[in-house]
Amino acid sequence: MLWLVPALPLLGSVVLLCTEGRLPKMVVAVVGSGSVGLAAICALYVGMNVVGTGEWQYTETLWTWMAVGDFNPSITLYLDGLALVMTGVITGVGFLIHLYATGYMWEEEGYSRFFAYMNLFVFAMLMLVLGDNLLTLFLGWEGVGLCSYLLIGFFHTDPANGYAARKAFVVTRVGDTLMALGLFLLFREIGTLEIQAALEGATATWPEGSGINTAICLLLLGGAVGKSAQVPLQTWLPDAMAGPTPVSALIHAATMVTAGVYLIARMQDMFLLPGPAMHWVAFVGLVTLFISAFTALVQTDIKRILAFSTMSQIGYMFLALGVGAWSAGIFHLMTHAFFKALLFLASGSVILALHHEQDIFKMGGLWNKLKIPFVSMLIGSLALAALPGTSGFFSKDAILLTAYNEASYGMLFWIGAVGAAFMTSLYTTRMILITFFGEVKTEPHDHSRINMWGPLLVLCALSIGGGWLGFMVLAPYMGDGGVAVEFHAELIALLTLGVPLLGVLIGYLIWGNHAISIDKFAASNLGERLRQFFFGGWGFDWTYDRVFVNPFVRLAQVNKSDFVDLMFTSIASLTTAIHLLVKQTQTGQLRWYATNMVVGLLVVVLIVIVQA
Amino acid sequence: MTLTDLWVSFPLIVLVGGTLVLMIGVSIVRTHKLALGLTLLTLILSVAAHDIALENITTGYELFGLLNVSGIQVFFNVLFLLGAIVTALFAYPYFNERMERCEEFYILLLTATAGAMVVAAATHFASFILGLEILSISLYAMIAYPRESHQPLEAAAKYLVLSAVASSAILMGVALVYAASGTMAFAELNISPESGERSYFLLGQALICVGIAFKLSLVPFHMWTPDVYQGAPAVVTGYVATVSKGAVIALLINYVQATEVLSYTGVFYAVVFVAVASMIVGNLLALLQTNLKRLLAYSSIAHLGYLLIAVLVVNTARPELVLETVLLYVAAYFIITLAAFGIVNLTSEHATEDNEQMEAYTGLFWRNPLLASVLTAVALALAGIPLTVGFIAKFYVFAAGVEGTAWALVWALLIGSAIGVFYYLRLIYTMVKQVEPGAAALPQVGTQSVVAVTVLGLLIVVLGVYPTPMIDMIRTIVQASGF
Repeated sequence: MLWLVPALPLLGSVVLLCTEGRLPKMVVAVVGSGSVGLAAICALYVGMNVVGTGEWQYTETLWTWMAVGDFNPSITLYLDGLALVMTGVITGVGFLIHLYATGYMWEEEGYSRFFAYMNLFVFAMLMLVLGDNLLTLFLGWEGVGLCSYLLIGFFHTDPANGYAARKAFVVTRVGDTLMALGLFLLFREIGTLEIQAALEGATATWPEGSGINTAICLLLLGGAVGKSAQVPLQTWLPDAMAGPTPVSALIHAATMVTAGVYLIARMQDMFLLPGPAMHWVAFVGLVTLFISAFTALVQTDIKRILAFSTMSQIGYMFLALGVGAWSAGIFHLMTHAFFKALLFLASGSVILALHHEQDIFKMGGLWNKLKIPFVSMLIGSLALAALPGTSGFFSKDAILLTAYNEASYGMLFWIGAVGAAFMTSLYTTRMILITFFGEVKTEPHDHSRINMWGPLLVLCALSIGGGWLGFMVLAPYMGDGGVAVEFHAELIALLTLGVPLLGVLIGYLIWGNHAISIDKFAASNLGERLRQFFFGGWGFDWTYDRVFVNPFVRLAQVNKSDFVDLMFTSIASLTTAIHLLVKQTQTGQLRWYATNMVVGLLVVVLIVIVQA
Repeated sequence: MTLTDLWVSFPLIVLVGGTLVLMIGVSIVRTHKLALGLTLLTLILSVAAHDIALENITTGYELFGLLNVSGIQVFFNVLFLLGAIVTALFAYPYFNERMERCEEFYILLLTATAGAMVVAAATHFASFILGLEILSISLYAMIAYPRESHQPLEAAAKYLVLSAVASSAILMGVALVYAASGTMAFAELNISPESGERSYFLLGQALICVGIAFKLSLVPFHMWTPDVYQGAPAVVTGYVATVSKGAVIALLINYVQATEVLSYTGVFYAVVFVAVASMIVGNLLALLQTNLKRLLAYSSIAHLGYLLIAVLVVNTARPELVLETVLLYVAAYFIITLAAFGIVNLTSEHATEDNEQMEAYTGLFWRNPLLASVLTAVALALAGIPLTVGFIAKFYVFAAGVEGTAWALVWALLIGSAIGVFYYLRLIYTMVKQVEPGAAALPQVGTQSVVAVTVLGLLIVVLGVYPTPMIDMIRTIVQASGF
């Protein structure tokens, strides 16, 4: 039954691709969103069954390709607590986003193409999380990368979108190459890519830890960093916002960008072996969450604010993984999927109502004109800022407290993360206040129907109540016993709880009633410089352009005739030359053929006699 | 002759009996349809008779000291019969359109198939040579069957002369081996290292190898192949490429397993030389070929070279893996090759000459997507691209080569395959190219054999995606035959 979960979106995609847009829009909408909806129901059913057995592990072999000697590649699905959470997010949140998209994309060209790609994405993502083999995982990994490329560049008439799509593809390719190297190394050392067997092999082979294990972990981390837009491979994500907003919600917030988190959580046994790998994960997360929180503060494009916020939140997940808070990390992945999808979809409604206006400074006073988007945005923001009671609070609180208790760098992690939490609530407050309050700058025209506001309301409920879901569903099934519900009275716990509230308060004082004025600072030389530095994402793009892109372009210009190709063209001309030579032997003359047979016979006899 | 002897030889008896009925029938009333019907009936009955034969053999059954019938022989025989059925189906529209008096073709088809079955089961030089000549003589006539045309006659003449050279090499070899060892039964052929007749013996083996290499069109005894493939009518070419070669491969694997002839280093290296030369030269010859039939001829040279790898590791790899590889490769090769020539045949049905120039297939994708898809599957399978049966077969050969640690051969396989991809893809490229305005229209396509070609094309893909049933079947056969 589990096979139906990835099969249904694949079927949907195939149907939509084969009909090439000849179906009526209504049918496309039903096929496109229905396939994911049915997959969600199947996932729920299988999940309930698996929960019912109490085993927590379920494998289903779909297909054994061939068995030659010991080589028998098969495609097997593997469902455990981790995969179940991911499957639930992908199909559940995915379905809501698909449903929303049926309304959002209604007026656009290529309606059918859009849903074909989206369904294909869901299929690839499901193969990524359900594959029991790193090879299947890698296929899914590349599949989602391809769909991401196709969907970022969906509005392909604008070359800028094509550029953004290429950038995302090329930057993540750096990570994918590292990951592939990691897989090669793992296969060479352990001899299998089957996940469970490889983990057992690794823990049995390197119980004391080893350089090889660390190298494999770091290479896998490289892949995860690329896919999840973490420093230093984070530069593609803000540009990826060129895609339609539902794409940003599904791929660049809820699912694909969290694949890196999934990968590390899946391979946790290897990361747990002695070695510095865990600290690397934690530091990558810490640096990213800190940098992108500052960047989000000065952005003016509502989708870019959310993009940097996504990077920052995934940074929290990496931090959680790095300090061994596996459940908390996955828990945050789930709650983040709820509230970030909500934020993106709500912002999409705002953008649509304002005729594709994305600059928050051209919005304002929308709170009583776009009521449902406003309420959704507000609830999403509360969860993002991790105010007590919302889903984001529970997961982030768990991460921060575990980080604090980490043995070697606990204090540093905690300070960085709490500082960024403060920044998070600050930029969230700024976004809400500027977008929805103040004077009206653009008159909105809302014509969303139930297929658009329905998903928003469901996601609102999940963003608030998702925390409790975490305790009920997630807690017992994760490897490390789940997220404990504890209330700490210590100073650290209180600070962790209070800092976001402080951020909201200060945010209100700055952008709400203007009690604190930052105009003077912003106008100063230093303030402007800082703003530009933050705005440009801490100069990463600037540096990469100078260090990698420009030298490479220059190299390509110098090497226009392609020096490397020389090897291949010379092989081609060599084989052609030999072909022309041996072709001369086919004269069509019987006497020549017979002579050749006799010569060949003599050669064979000679070999036999000489060797005997 | 016991009753069991009778049952085990029953398929052959049915086939020969059917041939006699057909002969009598043709001499009384000439009807093409009736001849085809009788042929198909005979072939199908013979396939069915294998079921009876199988019930009477356990691991293998020795017939008259000349033939040995085991599950493996039954597998090959059924392949030959199915190949003959497909050939008969293709032949009907082909000959019906262009000539009168087509009925004798089916007699030749049946005798050739009977010869192939004898060769495949031979355990004695007498049955080997007898079977080989029944097969070859039928083939000469089949190649020359469109007797008013110049090309088939030329091809048949070339094949006749060169084949006679090869047969005489085999006969001379057999004589020498007999002189040295005093026996003609494969299982008893061996010679002690100190024996004074050892050099005769090895010389004889070398000559037998040469003859077999000619029949399998291996380099340097390959030169007849493109000329005969091109000159013969496409249906016959398909038959020559599959059934006649399959029979000799079956004999070869029998022979090397029974006589352990490859444990003599000299013979081993001679065969290695032939195999490597075939893989490399075959692919190089095909590189810029513009005639589809010649292209397939060169491709078959290379493919037989690949298959020889499995035969060569007979002493170093597990015998069951070697047999699995050979059986699977031959089955895959049958499907792919019959589909390829089936398409040539289909597009030639209404033409006076075979539609064999590659440029005639330009833009086939836009003119006849079904045929183009099948031909694409064929090209991909011949190139050994995954998800086609060709990949599975090539992978098996690769695995056998690796297990037998025959590294030089595995390298030759890799290099040959890499060269091969070029011309297979060129064929696909030709089909995708847009048709230029003013280009000659595609010859009208017959409808009768489209079904057969489509089924073969589907098999190429289905067995590539889900080969497990076929692999399991072959594995069961190999195990039941005592390996």
